[in-house]
Amino acid sequence: MAPSLWRSSAALLACAFLAASAAGHVKPQSSTDKNVAETLYREGILPDGQPLRGARPGSIPVEGQAAACGNCHRRSGFGVEEGRIVIPPITGKYLFRESTTDVMQMAHPDPGAEAAPARRNRYSSETLARAIREGVDPEGRSLDYLMPRFQLDDADMALLIAYLKGLSVKPPPGAVGDMLQFATIVTPDADPVKRDAMLDVLNHFFGNKNAYYRGADPPLQSERRIHFRVLRRWQLHVWSLTGAPDTWDAQLHHLLKTDPVFAVISGIGARTWEPVHRFCESESLPCLMPNVDLPVVNEQDFYPVYFSRGVLLEADLIGHRLSADARSGAPVHVVQVYRPDDIGAAAAKSLAASLASSGAKVTLRELKAKEPAHELAAIAHGSSPGEVLVLWLRPRDLKALPSTTSASRVFISGLMGGLEDAPLPTGWRDGTRITYPFDLPKDRGIRMDYPMGWFRLQNIPVVDLRTQTDTYLACSILAQAAGTMLDNFVPDYLVERVEVELSRRIINGYYPRLGLAPGQRFASKGGLLVRFSEPTGKKIVADGDWVIP
Amino acid sequence: MSRHRTAFNPRLMIATGVALGTLALQGALAADEAGQQASQSAGPNAEAQDPALEVSRSQSHYALPPIKLVRDDGKEVMLADELNDGRPVVLNFIYTTCPGICPLASHLFSELQHDLGAERDKVHLVSISIDPEEDTPARLRAYAKKYSAGPSWQHYTGTVASSLAAQHAFDVYRGDKMGHTPVTLLRTAPGAPWVRFDGFPTADMLLKELHDHPQVAAASPPAKP
Repeated sequence: MAPSLWRSSAALLACAFLAASAAGHVKPQSSTDKNVAETLYREGILPDGQPLRGARPGSIPVEGQAAACGNCHRRSGFGVEEGRIVIPPITGKYLFRESTTDVMQMAHPDPGAEAAPARRNRYSSETLARAIREGVDPEGRSLDYLMPRFQLDDADMALLIAYLKGLSVKPPPGAVGDMLQFATIVTPDADPVKRDAMLDVLNHFFGNKNAYYRGADPPLQSERRIHFRVLRRWQLHVWSLTGAPDTWDAQLHHLLKTDPVFAVISGIGARTWEPVHRFCESESLPCLMPNVDLPVVNEQDFYPVYFSRGVLLEADLIGHRLSADARSGAPVHVVQVYRPDDIGAAAAKSLAASLASSGAKVTLRELKAKEPAHELAAIAHGSSPGEVLVLWLRPRDLKALPSTTSASRVFISGLMGGLEDAPLPTGWRDGTRITYPFDLPKDRGIRMDYPMGWFRLQNIPVVDLRTQTDTYLACSILAQAAGTMLDNFVPDYLVERVEVELSRRIINGYYPRLGLAPGQRFASKGGLLVRFSEPTGKKIVADGDWVIP
Repeated sequence: MSRHRTAFNPRLMIATGVALGTLALQGALAADEAGQQASQSAGPNAEAQDPALEVSRSQSHYALPPIKLVRDDGKEVMLADELNDGRPVVLNFIYTTCPGICPLASHLFSELQHDLGAERDKVHLVSISIDPEEDTPARLRAYAKKYSAGPSWQHYTGTVASSLAAQHAFDVYRGDKMGHTPVTLLRTAPGAPWVRFDGFPTADMLLKELHDHPQVAAASPPAKP
């Protein structure tokens, strides 16, 4: 399946078009029509509520969601490459453009090594209708087998055409001219050390990016050809929020109106990130957020992208281990300790929910005192035989633990407690398991050489290694993704390119692997339970395999 | 591993009644004797007939190392045991959030399962995830339900290493998951050569491969361990 696939793929360029004239003088769609057409495009539901139907040659029909254009051509309409198959763009800009033999006429700069697109004339309304219904391109060549032949009446076709015509046409105000605007978000409760560490990396990365800028390039699009890429300047806006979380949404919308940005890169908070997540989704703003330890998990959301589920993943790692114990018949009583105003509260509730069906008894203990030594001593020594302690506590509270505990086993949150830097009393170290949603230090050494080398070159002091490494990694992913967009700077396409480019990386800092796909918004999926291997120091060893809970 | 492939037009093949499966089996047996592989083609002019249905067919023997996978019911299994239960096997590699190729591959299995009719459970359909960290057994079950997978169509996940081992064993590994290419593998009985389709075969093509082999009719579905 080689060159001819590319040829037919290049010809595929269709999911709809009719009604409009070739170059297209289509009236802008009303918002109602646009919503209806969007449902057709993304979900495969026709305006009358019936499923969209199509069939591939020699195969049974597909309908509804399985037939939706957006499955393959993606929300942006710019398509995607899968192996050597290129799902081509179907936005009006590409369909109505006179073809050249330039590879870069397509959206994808990486269309496969040996294939080249065949010349294709621009579609007319008639040839497009034929393409969609009969599966042949303007030259009469068969479209790719992947492309169903659709049953659409003229009215529905016209609706879809108008939608495609307007799809991904308008660049957002944060991507105008040769400047891309980005924001990073700092909440008022963020740790100032982490905040400064993150900003240091961001500022250096942006400075480096702009150092290569040598004046504006000519526009990417012309009737004759499309250039390979342009260099653009990047500008960073630091959005520092103030006040209570319930005021952040209004602040964020105001900041976006004042300084429109193309995307949010990184950000740092402490107790809640939910207002930021909701803002990203409601504004259709791509947000690549590596430093959030309590993200919002909502598989329907498209724009917020995280490196992991943070403490919720840690809760599942502990739940995975304890559920196995409970299933074996041993009585398990789990006592979870957390501060009610910290992210451990959500993690504790998540773990309690996951253990509900296991037979384990779960007790939640809120830590309220500012100086918690007395409370912690009571918890540590008040346990019954077989009791399991789960501590969702920061280093400040871990330091206040008594020297020993009567609990049979202890788990602590590595993200909250400081990973291998967790200040556990000596008497606790042997029996404590630490959640560790990263590779072990000895296994990530080579991958860490890259960010560490970059920090040295940039004279960036390392004050919070994980925050700085993850921020650097997010910047690299953003640059990599933006570099494959040609001039198609629309938000949906950026998210789609991040999905692809992030999954191709090998150098991932703390993480053994990162991977995204449509519907996946947490790039690292699993983790370890570790323990200290020596009475003192930071040496840790894995207690079991890498687990995807 | 060298493999000789030739593209052909399946509709042309089916229409002209070429007994490809039988020929392939004979070819494979000959190849076994020679310690080599064999392939069959429907002729050099086939591709020109309908490039939209381009697919290539070849035969191979694959050495399968011990690979532990997790079946969609949560049970840990050895891949070789799953493949060697006596039934013919049709195998593909998918992931549940795949945008383009996998839905079509799973649609093909769904269609094959339907077309097998009363013989459905005599053929083992095997789908192995190439994104095992995302594709938990629960996600695989939901995906299987979406494609109306019957009791003889199982999905498998496992560790990253075990999924990679399975991909390497069948020569389908193409870097990251977005680099994958459509491959369907079919074996009529343990020890027989694997018939490999690169591209998208039709359900009719797979049926023909299966029906041309007497073991399909004889095979009975084993009780699930």
